[in-house]
Amino acid sequence: MTRQISILSGKGGAGKTSVTAALIKMMDAVVAVDADVNASNLPLLLTPERQTNNDYFGMDIASIADVKCTDCGACIAVCRFDAIARNASGRVEIASDCEGCATCAHVCPEQAITLVPRKGGEWYLSSIANGFLVHADLIPGEDNSGKLITKVRNQASAVAKEQQIPYIVIDGPPGTSCQAISSITGADLVLAVVEESLSGLSDYRRLAELVKKFSIPHFVLINKSGFNQEIMQQIEATANEFAGTIIGRIPFDQDIPRALQDLQALSDMDTYRPVIAEALATLLQSLED
Amino acid sequence: MIISVVSGKGGAGKTTLAVSIAQVLGAEFYDLDVDAPNAEYFLQPEFDATTAVTQPVPLFDEDRCDACGLCTRECRFHALYKILKSVYLTETLCHGCGLCELVCPQQAISYQDASVGTIRSGTSQRLGNRVHVGDLKIGSTRGTYLIGELVKQIDPAKLSVIDGPPGNSCAAVAAIKPADLVVLVVEPTPFGFHDMLQTEQILQQLGKDYLIIANKALDSTDVEKHFTGREKRPVFTIPLDDRYHRANLAGDILSLNFSEIHSGLKTVLDGKIAS
Repeated sequence: MTRQISILSGKGGAGKTSVTAALIKMMDAVVAVDADVNASNLPLLLTPERQTNNDYFGMDIASIADVKCTDCGACIAVCRFDAIARNASGRVEIASDCEGCATCAHVCPEQAITLVPRKGGEWYLSSIANGFLVHADLIPGEDNSGKLITKVRNQASAVAKEQQIPYIVIDGPPGTSCQAISSITGADLVLAVVEESLSGLSDYRRLAELVKKFSIPHFVLINKSGFNQEIMQQIEATANEFAGTIIGRIPFDQDIPRALQDLQALSDMDTYRPVIAEALATLLQSLED
Repeated sequence: MIISVVSGKGGAGKTTLAVSIAQVLGAEFYDLDVDAPNAEYFLQPEFDATTAVTQPVPLFDEDRCDACGLCTRECRFHALYKILKSVYLTETLCHGCGLCELVCPQQAISYQDASVGTIRSGTSQRLGNRVHVGDLKIGSTRGTYLIGELVKQIDPAKLSVIDGPPGNSCAAVAAIKPADLVVLVVEPTPFGFHDMLQTEQILQQLGKDYLIIANKALDSTDVEKHFTGREKRPVFTIPLDDRYHRANLAGDILSLNFSEIHSGLKTVLDGKIAS
């Protein structure tokens, strides 16, 4: 059975991708998922070879057949998203803010409105040195990346099953909203990468509250640490409160961004390989238990 | 005038720059990173008003509903589901579109307001400016809607700074749309640069005037490496300096603590504000 580890942080820039890439590089066989589909950076560290390119369709959007439309405006009256308006010449038009609810199509007396597919991005299956990477690019500005995350995760599960690969590791998006939820659902455990800062602490608390709703165990890797003992203690207290287990600490060290500049992961650095190895061993052990 | 501070990559320094820009310009502040709002740790506002942000969601009249299930099939957001003889709502998925009410043959559905989050407003104890923070209810999918409601409160006649959400999805668009000027914060790394190119596509589609500030530069060659041959370059570069990091992590406002940050931001913004 495939086990899934989801890596999140709440705060952006805490080190999710750096840690995820390092863990992945130290595993025997893995299906990696980049769930940060609107700022996808994991591929930069894993040198993937693309196997397939696939279109992703998000929510359908409304489309008006000009020949049928009598410009009666019934659709404008029911649209709660202000997505339909009259243009300068009085014709009814769909704007880009359409959320695809289809209410307009339901009320149109002429059946002039249909819901049509809209390309929201692309997803890819790639091979990496020790397995596969499923990743995606949302078209900038597009909606509903939660659905795209579900798509790449489902693909990852299919590949893992077919290839009999025991682990899926997910590089999650920042934040704690729908995209984070799509990255947590169905995971066996969550690794929170927490930056030692007031912002990192606050966002970790939000994430811990969210993870608690899913009743999934979580582990904590503290990053950019060593400057502020008080904040560190608050992170420890928060982890304690939400039953999170701290499995490692990485200091604020300019050598790390310098290595990343050359696309070297933490696992490529002699100083930090042991920290990552130990964290990985703890995570995999907890999946066995 | 509205200035939005955004970045595709998280942790590039949006909040760091946004609070400093608000300090330099004496601007009103809007934290639109509604599912991870952090500006308050820097601005330390004393909150004096909290308003609930609501959207309409369906309410079922159990006596009328015969559990035909039509609404659950019509809902495009999968927010309604049927178990045995009852229909249930997953409130966090509901967009409040009103379709279920229209399709229900029994007129069993009406709409009531439900909370998607709150907006807190107060006065910064550090800067004296007004601060507005959006807090999305944990688990809600309606972040972009909450951002839209916050944006409606902005008085375009005043000078305001928006601290946007990370990423390049619809939430970022909602924070960029109202801006007269966008400050695009970029971490001069392969990751930051990759995400910046996607944000630029949004800015160009919306026809926004923007300037780039590079943050966390290891040395001057970082910026050169990524921006060589480009017309649009950072107008100001902030190095990755232990002193800045130490101040920032504890909630200090960099432009207050470091005169070079203050003067650097003032120089690049003054021309834009005057015009």
